[in-house]
Amino acid sequence: MTFLRKLALTTALVAGLSAPVAAEDVKFGLLQDFTAVYTFVTGQYNQGQQDYLALVNAEGTLGDGNTVTAIVRDTGNQPQRGIEAYNRAKEEGAVLFDFLSTPVSAAILDQAQADKNVVITPAHGRGDASDGTVFPYVFPMFATYWAQAAALIEHMKETGGLEGKKIAIVHIDSPFGREPGPILQALSEQEKFEFQAFPYASPGNEQSAAWSEVRRYRPDYVLIWGAGGGQAVSVRTAIQNGIRPEQIHSVIWLAETDAANVGPQMKGVKRFEATASGTDHPIIQRIQEKVIDAGKGSGDQANVGTSYYNLGVATMAVAVEAARLGMEGGQPLTGDALKAGFEKIAGFDAEGLMPPVTYTAEDHQGGGAGRVSEWDGEKWVPVSEWHAAYPELIRQVIEESAAKYAAEH
Amino acid sequence: MFYRLSGTYHTSYQADRKLWKIPTDRWLVIGLLVLALLAPLYVSPLYLGSYVLPWVIWSAAALSLTLLMGLAGQLHFGFAAVMAIGAYASIHLVRAGVPFELALLLSGLISAVIGAIFGGAALRVKGLYLVMATLAMQYLVDWVVVNVPAISGGAHATLRTPAVSFLFFPIESLSARYWLALGWAVLLTVFFMNVKRTSFGRALVAIRDKDFAAAVIGVDPFRTKLMAFFTSSFMGGVTGAILAFCFYRAVTPEQFGFNVSIQLVAMVLVGGLGSVIGSWLGAGFVLLAPIFLTNLVSGLAASGWVPVSQNFLSHLPLMIYGAMIIGFLLLEPLGLAKIYDNIRKYFLVWPFRHARS
Repeated sequence: MTFLRKLALTTALVAGLSAPVAAEDVKFGLLQDFTAVYTFVTGQYNQGQQDYLALVNAEGTLGDGNTVTAIVRDTGNQPQRGIEAYNRAKEEGAVLFDFLSTPVSAAILDQAQADKNVVITPAHGRGDASDGTVFPYVFPMFATYWAQAAALIEHMKETGGLEGKKIAIVHIDSPFGREPGPILQALSEQEKFEFQAFPYASPGNEQSAAWSEVRRYRPDYVLIWGAGGGQAVSVRTAIQNGIRPEQIHSVIWLAETDAANVGPQMKGVKRFEATASGTDHPIIQRIQEKVIDAGKGSGDQANVGTSYYNLGVATMAVAVEAARLGMEGGQPLTGDALKAGFEKIAGFDAEGLMPPVTYTAEDHQGGGAGRVSEWDGEKWVPVSEWHAAYPELIRQVIEESAAKYAAEH
Repeated sequence: MFYRLSGTYHTSYQADRKLWKIPTDRWLVIGLLVLALLAPLYVSPLYLGSYVLPWVIWSAAALSLTLLMGLAGQLHFGFAAVMAIGAYASIHLVRAGVPFELALLLSGLISAVIGAIFGGAALRVKGLYLVMATLAMQYLVDWVVVNVPAISGGAHATLRTPAVSFLFFPIESLSARYWLALGWAVLLTVFFMNVKRTSFGRALVAIRDKDFAAAVIGVDPFRTKLMAFFTSSFMGGVTGAILAFCFYRAVTPEQFGFNVSIQLVAMVLVGGLGSVIGSWLGAGFVLLAPIFLTNLVSGLAASGWVPVSQNFLSHLPLMIYGAMIIGFLLLEPLGLAKIYDNIRKYFLVWPFRHARS
């Protein structure tokens, strides 16, 4: 095996020396959970990723005949299967990995850092990985949970004021659910509001106990922090307990399927979004035309343009842009070259699909911009402009947490 | 024929009590052991790190659980929690400056004590009711780990294992981690085979078969049941520590969730209750079959054999896997161990047809 690989490598090297620069097939490992916990997002998200990569190959975005291939595997949210899938994809030459699963990402983070492979954790994962000096190969890419919480609080401030108001944060009882805690703590002092946390047990199919407490608290705003089926339950139970939909603000994980599950009373609920939804965007239009209509789509056509589909498209748009920049000058795309490519991205907005992002060696979050959108009964309508809320505070929290991590390891 | 019996005489009690009385069995075991020891030399890092190493560790876990479920007949549906206690205890002990060797033992002891406390429920309840009691342990331990930042490691609940050495060998390279895990699994295997021949082992079996009948013949159910939970939890705790240090190297609460407990029970059942070889085969099957199937189906899809959506593609291996479990259990309810036993017995007298026992 090793001998054969060496032989192949040597042959490739010799061939590479004699021939002009050969076209490269860039490989991305999309090793996600299709069957266990993250099923609410993975299907549409991964479909968007694969369709966008098909578009890249159809249009030759990477130039010089370079192509990109996705290695897609199910990990079932099990770390040991994630480790296997990672090692295998690594052998197959993947330089970028997207696990979309907290336990799997956590189990592989160190190994990927040691292997100098890029791991993207778009809109999920640990927030302090935004500090590129401590986590050089991890890219949260879009607004972290901390930035999302700040954006929602800022929106409350702009729409109804914060001073003296009460915010209830109703969250799933897990590390993910507790993410906004530090941001709320810091902002409550700055903006003079009070808040209280109401956890409910995972997976959140039953939340009546938490919401009857919330009702007694009489909040002015409600922040819901969960994912999957629990989100629809949150919205429904909130409304049953006399909370108006307009008061409800959600983390990024609230989408069209949840709205369908809640029904017409969902109208007015707001959520954070890192990418625009809908099909009215140049990239999505071209996917429709060159990939879907050409019969090369990777899933149900009805999903095109949903929130998670577009999020998937945006992740790959940024990753492909990074790969393109990393390969400039004809060098092969290693993990290091890809990281350098990411850090060359400045003001990239995927033709308006998302806020402009700029990555530097320090900031792997890309600014943390986003906006708030409201469900109008049919679709998500943006109610604020793309921008980053409280960027200094978020940066400070990121750096403190990263410094703590660096000190411990 | 293949397991040649002729010329093999047991002339002393000692010879008759050997673990492997038939030379072929002995040579098979020695051969497998040598192959396992030399694995880092001929297995590629991909297969060693992603297949063989987790298989060895989960076999140790299945052995720990089958001592309780197979030998003592006490159902345990919260065994992942026992391993979690071992994993977290060992990491915090090492971080506090305790040498790794000692930390392994102490983490085993901590798991054993906590496991035995929950096992106390077994003194009053049996069967499904005991399942409920052990489930409570699973959820309580999960809750404590998630809600006590001092245990889980703070906001992101990921705790990295510090660099350690075992008897002066640094446990850093893949081979070193593999050998340590293999050493522990072999130790457990040998212990398990021997415990069946001790008075303690026979007491466990007596309790399993009928606890008040065992009490009548002088086996103390109180002591024996507690000892069963204590021993099994000790083994599980150390296995949890080995899992953390040798395989994951960064622990999160999800690694020891309820679904892992169910996987462990599945390993023990599919392999064959109370069987050593069954624990190894069961762990290998439950752990590796989904991975092999996923890769197989993805390979077929890539070559255009099964043109289906990604979603169906991901669920297809699960369907095959489920069908395989049902198939195996229909074919042989006593598990994979019994299937091996049938094959062995067939060859024991081959080319003749019948074998005694």
